[in-house]
Parts: sequence; structure tokens; C-alpha cells
Amino acid sequence: MNPNACRFQRAARAKAFDLRHRAIVAKNIATYHAAVARGLARFADWESARRRAAAIKWEVMNHLDRYLEEFERNVLARGGHVHWAETAAEASQQVVALAKQHGVRRAVKSKSMVTEEIHLNSALEAAGITVLETDLGEYICQLRGEPPYHIVTPVMHLNREQIAATFHEKFGTPLDATAEQLAGSAREQLRAEFLRADMGITGANFAVADTGMIGLCTNEGNGRLTTALPRLHVAIVGIEKLVPRLEDLALFWPLLATRGTGQFLTVYNTLIGGSENLHVILLDNGRTRLLADAEQRNALHCIRCGACLNVCPVYRTVGGHSYGTTYQGPLGSMITPHLRGWRDWSHLPYASSLCGKCADVCPVRIPIHHHLLHNRRNVIQRRLDSPIQRLAFRAWLWAVRSPRRYALGGRLARWAMRIGIAAPFAKAWTDHRELPPAPRETFRDWWRTNP
Amino acid sequence: MSARDNILQRVRDAVRAPAPRPPAPAANSIWPPLGEAEARFREEFTALKGEIIESLPEFLAVFEKIATDGSELAGKGNATAREADLGVTACECLVAQTGSVVVTCRNAEERALSALPPVHLVVAHREQIVPDLNAALALLRTRYGGDFPKMVSVISGPSRTADIEKVLVMGAHGPKRLAVHFVRS
Repeated sequence: MNPNACRFQRAARAKAFDLRHRAIVAKNIATYHAAVARGLARFADWESARRRAAAIKWEVMNHLDRYLEEFERNVLARGGHVHWAETAAEASQQVVALAKQHGVRRAVKSKSMVTEEIHLNSALEAAGITVLETDLGEYICQLRGEPPYHIVTPVMHLNREQIAATFHEKFGTPLDATAEQLAGSAREQLRAEFLRADMGITGANFAVADTGMIGLCTNEGNGRLTTALPRLHVAIVGIEKLVPRLEDLALFWPLLATRGTGQFLTVYNTLIGGSENLHVILLDNGRTRLLADAEQRNALHCIRCGACLNVCPVYRTVGGHSYGTTYQGPLGSMITPHLRGWRDWSHLPYASSLCGKCADVCPVRIPIHHHLLHNRRNVIQRRLDSPIQRLAFRAWLWAVRSPRRYALGGRLARWAMRIGIAAPFAKAWTDHRELPPAPRETFRDWWRTNP
Repeated sequence: MSARDNILQRVRDAVRAPAPRPPAPAANSIWPPLGEAEARFREEFTALKGEIIESLPEFLAVFEKIATDGSELAGKGNATAREADLGVTACECLVAQTGSVVVTCRNAEERALSALPPVHLVVAHREQIVPDLNAALALLRTRYGGDFPKMVSVISGPSRTADIEKVLVMGAHGPKRLAVHFVRS
């Protein structure tokens, strides 16, 4: 088994039996569900809305070359700068180079998963540049030296006491500080940083092709301060973030907010463009590989609302950190093997019950669980499954192709269960559950005697 | 070959085989009926914890340092955005459907005005209320053509966070209070 799979299983096993973790996450997600129910009620026809979004994303992704060129043209025409990065390392180097070129000593960052993806903070710190997270959740992660637990709710796994303890240690705030006091302390710490930072770093929730704008959605206002105060703004944008027209946001903003947090809109939906201080870095980092797969291309339609994580029984049980990926949950298991390689991440598509709830809630109608099944097929086709599993399925196939062999197999299994030698083969199951007792007779025997 | 050429070439090669087109969406409206625009705006805006200011002098009395973008309160502003207790701006429009104010900024001082002071007051005319987001974005396009301001913000209530146990806290980084005053025209 690959080391990532081993780590995942170990971490998942520990989290699944951590009752405090379970209680914190359950409470958080229950609040989320209540808010989303109110949010959905604001749509007259949610289904049409997501179909419309899916059609727009289909249009973009299947003509992505045109939209990328249009976006670049419009950013340049309005005085901004566009850079292209093929890999994570290239993107990080470009940010570091820009920082050095402009004499940047301190940077502030608005919440952005793509900067997690390219490990930007460590690249900047290695170059002697201080970088501070400004989203409260991300700031808490940075203080604790932890990666985000969830793409939208970075500290979903922590309760107030744990966060208060971190703040107490760093800033001397009371151990029983309220959420309000903690947020107030962060506001105070970070306000000074906003004012003295030389560079603001953001991702993009949307990149608008026909106006050359970067769209940022935040509730705290850190996105606006990050882009408004420092003299340089660098936006790192995955190439799948494009929407064709400004007016498309009248649909995408509410879809993102409704499924992200249950709000109709996030507080600040900000569009930035037309400034010579704006540097956009367009990032591939494996996205064109997924784009080349016509069958799974619509996995790139994802707008990162995080809804599929919140409803996933696996995510809720094993927790966001167990995945060991930038993008967790069903969405992460859908795209990570494509983006980062099948050899190291072939186990992810199996971290799903294929119940399909992720696809039900997806605001852009990505059939996520189908993609997870496709990914399992890809794993088999690449012969990355275990040889034992391959042999077992071969034997199974051979057995079920003949009624006599199938009947014999049933008899053998019942006999094995009765004399107690079946359990070792079902260890993954019996470690935490009872094996059901063997039936008294096989179905075939019962059928014969009960005509 | 540059990174740009490489990426664009890979994209072109990738999309040569089209993905199956999703079913065409229905043309029906996805939003419920709006109702009367001003009433709807007031309802949505206050639900987002925005404040509608009826008496301006009374509201202004508690602030010592006021920064403005010059409109409507000319002469009253005397501070920079960084030190002000109150930032006053005009807006492009107000959105009835969402209770939002749409603020644009052309330079750094204007951007700071609606972001740094703890209270943000928007001075507007009732005629600036548009029905929905579509209308707001269409209005911006008509007004500016291709030459949009450097920052467009659709602001829906005061700054907030719910990152800690999903408990709502107002005033994360942006203004803790957002107010609208309608000027008689």
C-alpha cells in the first residue's frame, strides 16, 4: 500500500473514534444545515438555477482556450499583469520573484485554497518574507501550525476553548474568551499588519473573462483590505475559475454563498481589475490533465463551496485532516488523483460510500459520486489496486459465472462461518463489528423445502 | 516555448474532444417575485443587520472624525480613512433582492473609506434602488462600458465571521456597522 494510503487509514481510524471531534463537527454541521435550509428557501427554482450554472461552466470548460485568452487580453488592456504557471513550484517562484522585485518584506493573505495547493507560505518564508493569514479561520490555523480542516470552514474541528487556549498562549487573552473577544483580538493584531504590508495575496473565487476582473467573496472584509491597502496585489487563479460574463455572477454569487454557508450572498462580493498594481498568476498544476479527460471534465466545474464535504458521511467521520490533501472530502477525492497523480492518491476514490449525497447538493450539478466510481475504474485500469484484491475479484468472477460454482461457494462460506474460520478474512469488518451468525441453511436449501 | 504557450496548447488539445453537453436549463425564473422594491430593500438590509438612518444629524452627532468621498456631506468630512470613526460614501445602486449596496472605488483612499473605519455610512437616493443583482451588474456595464472602477464591491451587511463554532460575530475586519441614509431628491 502506498504511504499516503497508510497515513490516511491510520488517521481515519483515530478520528473515527474521537468522540470530542465527532461532537464538535456534528454541532458545526448541524448549524450549517439549518442555515442552508433557510438559504434554499430564497430560490423559487433551485434546480433550474444549478442547471443554468452547469450550462455556463460547460461552455467555459469546453472553450477554455478562448476564455483564457479573452481574460488575459482584458486584464492587460486595463493595465494589469498576467503570468502563467505550469506547476505549483513555478507559481510560488513567480510570487517570490515579484516580492523581491518590488522590495516586499511583509505580505498579507486573504483566504485562498490555491495558495495552500502551491505551498506559498513556506516558499515566501524561505525567501525571508513574512506572510500572515487574515481570514480568522486561516489565521487560527497559522497560529497553531495546522493545515485547514475544511476548504470553507478552516477550523471546523476546533471548539472555542481550544481556540481560546491558542490565543491565550500567543496574545494573553483570557482562557475563557468569547468568540467575540477572540475575533476582536484577531482584528486588532491584523489591522496593523494590513497597514504595513507591502503585498496582498489572494486567490480568486471567480475570474471574469469579458471584464478582466478577479472576483473575491468574503464575509470578514479581509479580501478587500488585502487588496486595497498594500501597494501590490498578486492573485493566484486556477485556470478553471473563469466565468464568461460579468452578469454570470448574479447567478454564481448566490449559488456559492447558499451552499457554502447558507447566506444568500457573502457580505463582500468584490471585483478587482484595471490596476497596474494587479498581478494575476494563471495556474495549471495538473488541471489540463483533468481537462483532457472529456468524460470527467466537468469535475473542473467545481466552485469550491464545500457542501459535498459537509454532507459526506466519510468526511464527517474521518475528518478533514485525514485526507492529507489540500482539497478534502468528495471533491478532493474526485480531483486529487487527476491533479497529483494516481500512484500516490489511488486510495482516495474508495473513501466514499457512493451514496450520492455530494452530487445532490452540488450547486453546479457535478455527478461527484459517478466520478469517484470512474476514478476507481481508472485505478484498476492503471493496475494500481492490490494484487490480492485483483485475485479475489478474479476468483469471484469465476465463481459467479456458473450456478454450480456459486452454490458451492455459498455452502463453503456458510461452513467457514459456522466453524469460525471466516472471521480472519473479514478482519477489517470484525475489528469494530460482530460478524452475523451463519444462516442455518442456504437460500437454495430453504427454497427447495418451502415450495 | 513559454509557460503561456504550453498551457494554452494543452488546453486546446484537451478540449478538442467535446464533453457531453448538459441538458438545456428551463427558461423559468429562478427567483420568487420581488414585491415592492424599497420595502424589500429595507427588509433585506435590516435582516442583514444593516441600519437605515432616518435622522442624519442625530446619527452624525456621535462621531468625532468623519471621512467622506465628498458627496452629499460636503464640508463635514475632516479625517483620513485610517483615523476616521465614520466613513461616508455614495453608492452606484442598492439591490432590493439582496439588501446590498454596490460601492465602487477608483483609488486607494476611496477603497479605504468603506473598509477601514468602524462604521460605514452610505448616502443614497431612493431612485438608486434596483430590483436584483442582474439589474445591478447591467447598470454598472451601461454606466462604465469597459472602463470599470478599480474595485466594485457588492456589500451585504456589516463585516462578520462565524469561523469559531459558527457563532456569528459582527465586525471581523471591515466595518462593524453599515448604515444607509436616503436623501430626499
